[in-house]
Formats: sequence, C-alpha cells, structure tokens
Amino acid sequence: MAPTTCFNCKEARAVVIRPKNRHKLCRSCFIEIFETEVHETITSSKLFFPGERIAIGASGGKDSTVLAAVLKTLNERYNYGLELILLSIDEGIRGYRDDSLETVKRNAVQYDMPLTIVGYGELYGWTMDQVVEQVGKKGNCTYCGVFRRQALDRGAERLDIKHVVTGHNADDVAETVMMNLLRGDLPRLSRGTSIITESGASDTKRSKPLKYAYEKEIVLYAHHRQLDYFSTECIYSPEAFRGSARTLIKDLEKIRPSSILDIVKSGEDMAALVPGQAPGGKSCKSSAPAAGAAEEETGGCGSQNGRSSGGEMAAMEQQLASNDGAESRETEIKMPKKGKVSVGKKIKTQTLQHCERCGYISSQPICKACNLLDGLNRNRPKTAIEVGMEDEEGSSTLMRQMEHVQLTNS
Amino acid sequence: MPAKELTGSCMDCKDADAVLTTRNRSLCGPCYQVFLEHKVYRRMERYRKYPDPGSPSYRLLLPLSLGVSSSSLLRMLDTGMNRQLAKNARTSYTIEIIAIEPFTHAYDEALYTKRFEAARETFSKYTFNRIPLHSIFDYVPNMTEAMREYVGSQFKDDTSRSNEERLAAFRGANSTATSKADLDNVLFTQLVVGYAKQTGCESILWADSDTSLAAKTLAGAAKGRGAALTWQVSDAMSPWGVRFDFPCRDISKPELALYESVSPDLSDIVIPDEPLSENILTKNLSIDELMLRYVTTQGEKYPGVMANVSRTANKLDSYSSLDSTICSLCSAIVDNVKGNETGITVASQFSVQKPQFCYGCTRSRPEIDS
Repeated sequence: MAPTTCFNCKEARAVVIRPKNRHKLCRSCFIEIFETEVHETITSSKLFFPGERIAIGASGGKDSTVLAAVLKTLNERYNYGLELILLSIDEGIRGYRDDSLETVKRNAVQYDMPLTIVGYGELYGWTMDQVVEQVGKKGNCTYCGVFRRQALDRGAERLDIKHVVTGHNADDVAETVMMNLLRGDLPRLSRGTSIITESGASDTKRSKPLKYAYEKEIVLYAHHRQLDYFSTECIYSPEAFRGSARTLIKDLEKIRPSSILDIVKSGEDMAALVPGQAPGGKSCKSSAPAAGAAEEETGGCGSQNGRSSGGEMAAMEQQLASNDGAESRETEIKMPKKGKVSVGKKIKTQTLQHCERCGYISSQPICKACNLLDGLNRNRPKTAIEVGMEDEEGSSTLMRQMEHVQLTNS
Repeated sequence: MPAKELTGSCMDCKDADAVLTTRNRSLCGPCYQVFLEHKVYRRMERYRKYPDPGSPSYRLLLPLSLGVSSSSLLRMLDTGMNRQLAKNARTSYTIEIIAIEPFTHAYDEALYTKRFEAARETFSKYTFNRIPLHSIFDYVPNMTEAMREYVGSQFKDDTSRSNEERLAAFRGANSTATSKADLDNVLFTQLVVGYAKQTGCESILWADSDTSLAAKTLAGAAKGRGAALTWQVSDAMSPWGVRFDFPCRDISKPELALYESVSPDLSDIVIPDEPLSENILTKNLSIDELMLRYVTTQGEKYPGVMANVSRTANKLDSYSSLDSTICSLCSAIVDNVKGNETGITVASQFSVQKPQFCYGCTRSRPEIDS
C-alpha cells in the first residue's frame, strides 16, 4: 500500500493521525498546526501584552515542557515581546521530583530561559515525603495541591512576576469539569474552565495556553520535536473523584474522540451559568471567585491513571447520607414573609481576606495551607529521636532489639 | 422449611412487618409508598395550589414508557389526586398521558398493547394516547425542513414514502451509536413537546429518577450540550414555552423498582427494562449508555454522590434564549451562553459560516460524525 500523503500539504508522507479529528498529517504540518492553534488561543483570549514577564510553571513533565517550547517558538515567530522565565516547585518527593528537576534544569539551558526553584521544604518546613510519612498516602494530594498553589504564587512574587502560565491541557480541563460535576462543586467547575483566573487581591494571574490541546497531541508534539521531558508520574495516588473522572474521560474518548473538547465547551457554557459567578469566570473582581481561586487546586495534581482509594467519594457519600437522614428529622421553621423575598438558587459565597499567619489570600481567617501545616506540626515531635545505625531500616532494628530482649529474659 | 427471618416491625406505622430497608429505615409496603409519594408531592408543590376559583386546573402531560419510573410516577400522582378529590371534591391539576411507542429496539407489540391497555384500565380517570415516533411530522410543524437541512445534500427526503420510512431513512443517516442515540433523544423530546403544545398542557412531568438525571447530566456535558442542562435536567421553562418538571428527581431507580415491587397493581403494567448487556465493547456504546452504566454501577456504592450530580446541574442559572439564534433541530441556543465570549463556538469548531444548529446537534451531524 502506498504511504498516505499529508492531509494538509498533500506532499510529504503522513506520519501522524491527529487524535482530535483523525486527520493524517506529516511531521512539519502537524507541528505547525499545533503551534498555530496555541497561537490562536493566545490571541483570541488576549492572554499576553507586549513586554509582559511570564513565569512558566515548569515541572519537567510533558505539558510544561511543551508549553515552554511552544511559547518560546511563538514568542519569536509572532514577536509577542514576552520575557519568559521558568518557575519550578520542588515538592520534595524523592525518586520523582529530584529527577524531573534535572530535566527542568536542562530545559533552562536548551531554551535559554532563567530558572527559579521554590521548595516546599524552605517554604513550609515540610517536604511531601515527610508529609506522606506523617499522614499516609490517603489524602496527601490535598496537601500537595494547597501547597503548590501558594508556592507558585510566592515564587512569582519573588521574581516580581504578575502572570504564571501552567501546562493544563484539554484533558485536564475536561477532567476538572466532570470531577466537579461529580462532587457538586460549581464554583470550582467555573474556575477550572476559564482560561485566565485572576484573583482580586493578589495580582498574580494564572492562565492555561494549552487549554484546547489534547494530551495525546502534546505527547506527539514533544515526540516529533524531540523535546527533553520527564515521563514518570507522581508516585503518590490521586484522589477518588479525579480518578473516577479520568477513567470516564478515557472511555468517552474511545467512543467519540471529540468529547474532550465537547466537555470543555460544556464547561465553558456552564461556567457562565454558575450563580454568583462573574461572567466567564474571567477578571473575577467579586469576592467569591477570588477567594476561591486561592484554593483552586486543592484536588491535587492527579497525575495518575485512575488509581484511587475511593476514600473521598465514600466520605462524601457518608456526608450526603447523614444530611438526608437529618432532613427527615428536622422541622422547617419559616420566617414570616416581608415584602418580596428572593428565592433565587442560592450558592455559598465566600468573603475575601488575608490569612492572619502568612498573609496569603483566603476565605477564612487562617488559610488552608496554614491549617494543614498546623495539623502537621501538632504531630511533629519536638525533639528528633535518632536510631544509632543510620542505614538500617527501623523495623529490622526493632526486631533485633526484641530478639535481644527475649534472650535476656530467658 | 426454614423459619421466616424476623425483620421487625415498620418504623413508621409500628404495626405491620417491615418488608424492606431504605435509607436506613425499615418500612412496610404501604409506609414505603407514602415515603416515596411524599418526595414526589414535594416536587409537585407548584401544582398543588388550587388555581383561582373559576379558572381551570393545571393541565400536565405525563409521558409514559410503561417502564418502572413512569408507571410508578403515574400511580403516585393518581394516589395524590385521589386524596385531593376526597378532601376537596376537585383536584388542583389534571394529567394527560402520552405513550410514545418504543423505537430504539424491536419490541413485542402484542405485549406492549396489553400493558398499555392494562394501564388505561387501572387509571381510567385519565386520557391516554399512544403514538409512534414518526407522528413527529404531524406534531412538529417544521420537522421536514429541519431534517433536510440537518442531514445535508446526500440525503434525499422522498415525501411520497410513508412518514415511517422517511423517519427511518433520516435516523439511519448517522453511523455512530452516540450520534444515533443523541438524535433519537432530540426527536423524542420534540415529539412530546409538540404533543404537549397541541393538547394545551403547560408542563411535562418527566419520570426520570435521580439515577437517570445524573446520567443525562454527565452525558449532556460530554456531548457539548452543557448549556441545555438548565432545562434538560432542571425544573425550568424549556425553550418551547412548555415547562419541564422532574417529580422523581429525589428518588433513585432502585427505589422506584422497590416501589413497583410493593405495588401489586403495577405488575400488569410495567414492562421490565432489558438488562444492561455485559459483553459489549466500550467503544461501541453510545455516550448515553456509557453514562447510564457508570451512574448505575457507581450508584450501588455511592447513591448520594450520584444523586448530587443532578442536584448540582439543577442549581445552574437559567437564561433567556429570546434574542439568540435557536437550533433548528433541538431548539437549544446556537451561540454561546452570555458571559462565555472567549470559549469554543459552533463557528470556530466546525468552520461553519452561519450556524443553524447548536453545538451538540452539529457534533452529531452525519458528515461530522466521528
């Protein structure tokens, strides 16, 4: 069979079938189309202004590596006039982050961009490995998510940068839409869908230039441009809702490849219909979204394939069941009506303030990160206990000591 | 023979033996019926207030599939109206029943007729009607034009053929399971709405359980029909000026099945659902089926979480479609919702100059069908 020619240029040999629409393309056409689409996203939503300094949230993974590569290319091709800087967060996960940070360091040289690394250890006094040691693997993504969000903002602040771009792709956005439908969180659905999230108080804004790019196409782009990225996923597990949403999206993609974009489209429309939300979730100057933005990614990064403990879903199930049970026991007391009472669909609103401890934007007197840290620090021993033999595993030390006890007893 | 297990007495009437346990309550059959009926009446609040004296009571349309949900809803509403009659000698609303004959799969017509007649006999107070899907040409005025434009040039609509054949040709133009099922849903809704308008009903009472609504919510989102969720799964005014209400929205499918099992008068009426086949490849399912399976299986473990999905969608603000272009096929808005100015549009996604169909319908169009 003769090789298929490219759908676009009709000359070169097609080497890529676009996951999005099954078009067969040659290498250079695919790369060009991918870049043009990102460029269109950037221009149509007016993401940047000339001279703007942009921090690229770089993890060393495929999404952020592709983002850095594409932004560098487009910046030069279309004269955006941007100053691009890599900003990495070191969560302190051995065997995962230390390796991926090496990739980011190489990227910094390859793309000729300055790099700043902010560590959980220096910011919070806890690395993720230490957190997991303390809280176990269940729910650790909550810590990581809350910490990361703040860490990126603090990193940006340190660099005096007002705009951080992240590598969230269409699959991530679709996943967020489904996940928040499952857990009934409309404000977060709205924020997760909008291309720019601005918060009222802090002047760091976030955006997702790869919002419409399929994960599969990002991988193909990285492959065909031979980008240097780190492909191991986080060793800790994602929470159940994200895992469940991810499995669902993989199935949907098998049925109808376009459904990822279709979900993004649904999410965008629904975001505009979330009660109490500024239209489009963009330039949220009202208090609710702003405060929420500070806590946007409490769901963690969820970089795994639907592996989950189900703990969060079970917890929510229990909560809902007990609400339901309580409802049948309670008597509704109605206030006498005074004039026109609005019976609109009400949704919880948040008021914006600053955390009393760290000054970060929060909907509560003490921000989520400080709260989590409180919990962690409460259980941290004041004095470290050292076992004599450093390299020996704790359990075997204990075992040997037990043997010793038995011997002396006998 | 082993002795019958002692289940204890009913928590509500403290008299009869409990026959089932639901939401941590052990109840007898009649108390369970009351428990569920109460959930439906609460949703019917809007129609339980008597209209001004002299003005007619509300006219509501109940589409009856003879499945568990719609048959149970009919029985619950009947019980409620009987209670109103006993108290006030009149009811605040009347219901009209329309049965659309099955069209998605081959069915036993004799059995269907028998069950339909049994329903008509049991609930003889109400007007029953039964129509096939292809009567859509009689009830929806511009169906022929919409159909021709939707399918495009390769489709020849031969008006000399019967309506049944014309509709079959139209439905057959789509190749994927998802597009077929999506289009069938659109046609079905259109027909029921068309019927409601012709018979002067102001609202349609859809019998969807929370299970079905959760599946519809997720499927709607997955098919790019997110904006239409504000009426497709919400108690609200539909774009046709007929209200949509979902009185069973607080009840799950298994709970409705339990209701049927404790209501002997329904046993001659309900046609049991076909069980979900297990050996089918995910990629051959339609999105609607996939979501129904997902919600059903997850619902066994997390019924509350699934019920919460449709409640969440019901919280979305409604919007007016007055000054927007309306999809010629499904009447959803063609443009983006106000406030979503930078998002994906029909025009940007499908490079159509002047789009006439909404995003969801355009996605299911035969030539785009992927």
